[in-house]
Amino acid sequence: MSAVVLQAQDLTRHYEVSQGLFKPKAHVKALNGVSFSLSPGKTLAVVGESGCGKSTLARQLTLIEPPSAGSLILDGTDIAHADKAQLKAMRRKVQMVFQNPYASLNPRQKIGDQLGEPLAINSDLTKAEREEKVRAMMTRVGLRPEHYYRYPHMFSGGQRQRIAIARAMMLQPKIVVADEPTSALDVSIQAQVLNLFMDLQEEFQTAYVFISHNLSVVEHVADDLMVMYLGRAVEMGPKEVIYSRPMHPYTQALLSATPSVFAEDRSIKIKIQGELPSPLNPPTGCAFHKRCPYATSRCEQETPLLRALEGRDIACHHVETIPTNMA
Amino acid sequence: MTTTQTPLLNIKNLSVEFGSVGNPFRAVEGLDLTVQQGEIVGIVGESGSGKSVTMMAMMGLLEGQGRIVADDLTFDGKNLLTISGRDRRKIVGKDIAMIFQDPMTSLNPSYTVGYQIMEVLKVHQGLRGAALQARALELMELVEIPAAKTRLHAYPHQLSGGMSQRVMIAVALACNPKLLIADEPTTALDVTIQAQIMDLLVNLQKERNMALIMITHDLAVISEVAHRVAVMYAGQVVEIGKVPNLFRHPTHPYTEALLASIPEHSKGARRLSTLPGIVPGQYDRPKGCLLSPRCLYATEHCHQERPGMTQHDTGAVRCFYPLVDKEAV
Repeated sequence: MSAVVLQAQDLTRHYEVSQGLFKPKAHVKALNGVSFSLSPGKTLAVVGESGCGKSTLARQLTLIEPPSAGSLILDGTDIAHADKAQLKAMRRKVQMVFQNPYASLNPRQKIGDQLGEPLAINSDLTKAEREEKVRAMMTRVGLRPEHYYRYPHMFSGGQRQRIAIARAMMLQPKIVVADEPTSALDVSIQAQVLNLFMDLQEEFQTAYVFISHNLSVVEHVADDLMVMYLGRAVEMGPKEVIYSRPMHPYTQALLSATPSVFAEDRSIKIKIQGELPSPLNPPTGCAFHKRCPYATSRCEQETPLLRALEGRDIACHHVETIPTNMA
Repeated sequence: MTTTQTPLLNIKNLSVEFGSVGNPFRAVEGLDLTVQQGEIVGIVGESGSGKSVTMMAMMGLLEGQGRIVADDLTFDGKNLLTISGRDRRKIVGKDIAMIFQDPMTSLNPSYTVGYQIMEVLKVHQGLRGAALQARALELMELVEIPAAKTRLHAYPHQLSGGMSQRVMIAVALACNPKLLIADEPTTALDVTIQAQIMDLLVNLQKERNMALIMITHDLAVISEVAHRVAVMYAGQVVEIGKVPNLFRHPTHPYTEALLASIPEHSKGARRLSTLPGIVPGQYDRPKGCLLSPRCLYATEHCHQERPGMTQHDTGAVRCFYPLVDKEAV
């Protein structure tokens, strides 16, 4: 671990929700104390079901919203103590690629203008210099020069995602947060876009936070993996360690639920019942206990904390006793 | 395909055209497909390959928009090409049922889910009163919806995606269909819920010996459940074969490329293998084999002429130079 470009400590975000005129406001604990660090050129993958807080995490990292509690240190600056000018400078270092390339590009703006906009806002380059940079980036992501004057509707989904990636890379950010960047694409296009992500990372040493629910994509891109459940990390560590021997029952369940072309190679098969509980009214103790096949009364009362075990951090009372063998 | 029994569904040389007569766009071209009773057939392909249009054409849902031509389109002994609208309505929704990709938009938000299940039972089976209520409840329990009795009175917005898809399955199964068509049934759902819904579908299929056609773009999902798979590309079936043969030894270059582009296949590699380019659109279909501009093995012959389907011992393939099993050579 050399220099750390991003460090989150107990990052928390709660939202207030109105339940009606005379009822007290309820709190949704969307993100509940998440800690991690990220080095340049590395990828942290965040996985979990819808509603587990993945996207809330992305909103904190991209400084769209301030966290309710906890600290976030971006390239050496703590955002809690940063003034407006510093925050503006920091936003330049974190860029985002969204899930749906049909919605994330402005339909009324030409591609060249959309890609030049980050430079127009954040740099003192002249128009000609901006155009040169935009054209260089377009070539880099595999778009043709004549695409400069086209509008988004003239592109296919895969090309649009290339444009969105190019836009995120224009300012050479330190960190790119990608929120399900390939889930709207077909498999053959997904492979092209993933390759582009990997190539750009190699070239610019960008750190990625890769949010996805597709575990086979994650296995390909990630260096580190964080499995989230209801606003908390339940298992976190290097990809190889977790994929070769998932220990948390939820990680095991996610992995065994992921369909595979080589289904017969799968060694663990645990099924979980039910759905993610409402974050408005989370279960007591371990949030996963209602769906966990190994839950005991201790799990109902006591919230497990992350602890280091066999090269990873894991939040489960019974890791030592549940079957984890992946022979 | 070795069985001699008459197939439940038989499609021969189906083509669907849209647009003007002078300048038509062929969304589906020369499609052959048979489905036996109790069989799970998967149809895979990328967006725009004609998977959904094929099924819509078969169910007669394209009336007035597409022109449907086929040598044979028979379901359960009835010719779907010449059938009257009145007779078709007796089959569709009863003997052929369909579930769609997005459960949230395929249920009517203004009616309770119970009402929507009962509607089918009223129309097709003429059930009324207590018998109707009891059957609706039975169906809700069949698809494993917890607290089924109270959920009958719930509106779609009060249910999660997985629950809504269960309701859709209940509606589809209400009249004991002989053929169930599932169009991307789990694409909008989380993996854990996807696994639950797939289990449910396969169990119900087995229990009732229904035929099930699964349309999806996810090769992994299909490889886990289907007996036979048809791979579609730009409106044509390019390869059809049994599982797992088709996944172990693909004979069409497109199938091979699709399989190779799944991250699972390049474990450990930094780059994924890709198929260059994109699916040809309406105006840029090549003269020869539709895959020829993207195909690694294409020759002059492929650029000039379109290949037909060739039968081989485990299926059929549309290629002049089908791939041979590398391990066997």
